[in-house]
Amino acid sequence: MIDLPGTGRPPTLPPAAAELVARVAWLIRLRWLAVVGVAVFFEVARRIFPVSLGLVPLYATLAALAAFNLLWVLVLHRLQQPQREGAARWVRALGRLVAPPVLEEAGADRETRDAALFANLQIAVDMVLLATLLHFAGGIENPFIVFFIFHVIIAAMLLSRLATYVHATLGLLLVAAVAFAEMHGLLRHWPLGGTWGPEGYRDLPLVVAQLFVLGATLYLSAYMGTTVAGRMRRREHESLVLSGELAHKAEILERICNRLEQSERARSRYMRKVAHELRGPLGTIQTALKVVLADTLPPSSRDMVGRAERRAGELAEVTQDLLALSRARDVAAEAALTVVPLAELAREVVEEQRPVANRAGVALELEIAEPGGRYRADPQGIEQLLRNLLANAIRYTPSGGRVTVRLAEGPAGVRVEVADTGIGIPEEALPRLFEEFYRAENAREFTPDGSGLGLAIVRAVAGQHGGYVTVASEVGRGTTFTVELPLEPVA
Amino acid sequence: MSTPARILIVDDDRDLVAALTMALSGRGFTVLAAHDPAAGQAVAEAERPDLILLDVMMPSATEGFHFVWQMRRRDEAYFREVPILIISAIHQQTELRFYPESGDGTYRAGEFLPVQGFIDKPIDPEDLIARVTHALELARPG
Repeated sequence: MIDLPGTGRPPTLPPAAAELVARVAWLIRLRWLAVVGVAVFFEVARRIFPVSLGLVPLYATLAALAAFNLLWVLVLHRLQQPQREGAARWVRALGRLVAPPVLEEAGADRETRDAALFANLQIAVDMVLLATLLHFAGGIENPFIVFFIFHVIIAAMLLSRLATYVHATLGLLLVAAVAFAEMHGLLRHWPLGGTWGPEGYRDLPLVVAQLFVLGATLYLSAYMGTTVAGRMRRREHESLVLSGELAHKAEILERICNRLEQSERARSRYMRKVAHELRGPLGTIQTALKVVLADTLPPSSRDMVGRAERRAGELAEVTQDLLALSRARDVAAEAALTVVPLAELAREVVEEQRPVANRAGVALELEIAEPGGRYRADPQGIEQLLRNLLANAIRYTPSGGRVTVRLAEGPAGVRVEVADTGIGIPEEALPRLFEEFYRAENAREFTPDGSGLGLAIVRAVAGQHGGYVTVASEVGRGTTFTVELPLEPVA
Repeated sequence: MSTPARILIVDDDRDLVAALTMALSGRGFTVLAAHDPAAGQAVAEAERPDLILLDVMMPSATEGFHFVWQMRRRDEAYFREVPILIISAIHQQTELRFYPESGDGTYRAGEFLPVQGFIDKPIDPEDLIARVTHALELARPG
């Protein structure tokens, strides 16, 4: 398990609680609509139907609903900030008044339980207020008595199966309480008239039948609602768990990536240090051998020292390449950026390699089709890139061939192209071509020279500048390396 | 050359000094050696060599540069004019910046350090002799 310090985040709600809180927010929005809807309905109804509604108490109840909703908004706001414990404690205390602890979502985290209690509390208050509204508008006679069904459905969507049945029961009990209180004169009856007739509310069998219908409706709704909602919530829970796991895995992957990057850098630095340490003594060995070779020596000694000097040269080349490679990988281009007159640099590298090309009988051409601008780049890296591509091209081109270096404007900035009429690269070698120490078989057959690091350096330098290298080759016909460098021109 | 030219090598790599001494003395030069910048200053002061070969990488790059600036800052004409050739692998992979960080695009080494030239390691004795001879000819008065 990889654990890095400093990955702490500000406290946020767990996904399940956040989901529930979002639904509670929806419920609160819905309640505003209900307040407006009921008020509009009152105004329309009292103009159309000749009924004596308890308008003042009705509006008072509606105002209470609005006031509670305002309170819910405040509580919700607090609940969304889990670091503020106060609101949660209030919700918990109030919630327990209406919802016994068994209704708390078992096994859920504290925030989810708080949000569930909050929803329980709201639904309970809503039902009390609905019962009150109904009482002031006909009580058991009111056809809107079935509106408790909505509370049950909402409970089914938000809360547990048990809580839903409890709310269905609460709704039924509230209506029954109002009905019996009115029947026995404990509460005033506000008659609606209509089919119930003036004494309908005192008709016990009728009231019981009405309550039975209501109860059946509510329990059936609770059953259907919880069954459907249960299935949906299971899915939702699964997807919540999955997305949580995914986020966790992504985080782990990211950390591993960072680690890899770090270790890659450490590797480069180490390589660089080693190469650097080797270079000094190697230079001295080479110099000493060259000095000895410049002296008069018996032929056998000259031959031996000559071999040693050549091998030291090869070793120095590998060391040099390792340094270049680690430098390109380790040093951010920004750190080494300066102004590079690209065409001039290319000309220099071409002239430097011309004697080599002449010895090999290879024609060397430089075509400059870019405006000869100066660019922000790492001169050492770019020089290395040009030299490696050019040296490679000359090395693998048989006598009589041609190597062309082209500088042109590319889609990204500058395009460097090095084309040869050489031995070409077999297709199977192409995928590994830019690997360290890799040399294609035909390349090794053609010449033993070459560290196998040159193209790795080219790729690293291109990458260091935000660019990339492509290669097109045909065995026996030649190879073209194309480097796209998004270089920034300097005025 | 009537009297053999005297060349001071300032380099902490004693083996390299030995190799260069062999190459130079074989061509008739008189070789003096110092293994650190302070000793180099002292020898330069006492012996007034005709040319100085300086390894800029000993043991940290700045020391070599410092040696150059110290020599050149002195009032006496000798110190300002004695040819200094820098031996290093600086043309290859080093972090040394001889050119300005930003500016007019010139980055060629040697233009900003008051020295007569650079000799890349590994040193080819023929090249060394040629460069030393050339620098001495340029420095010869008249």
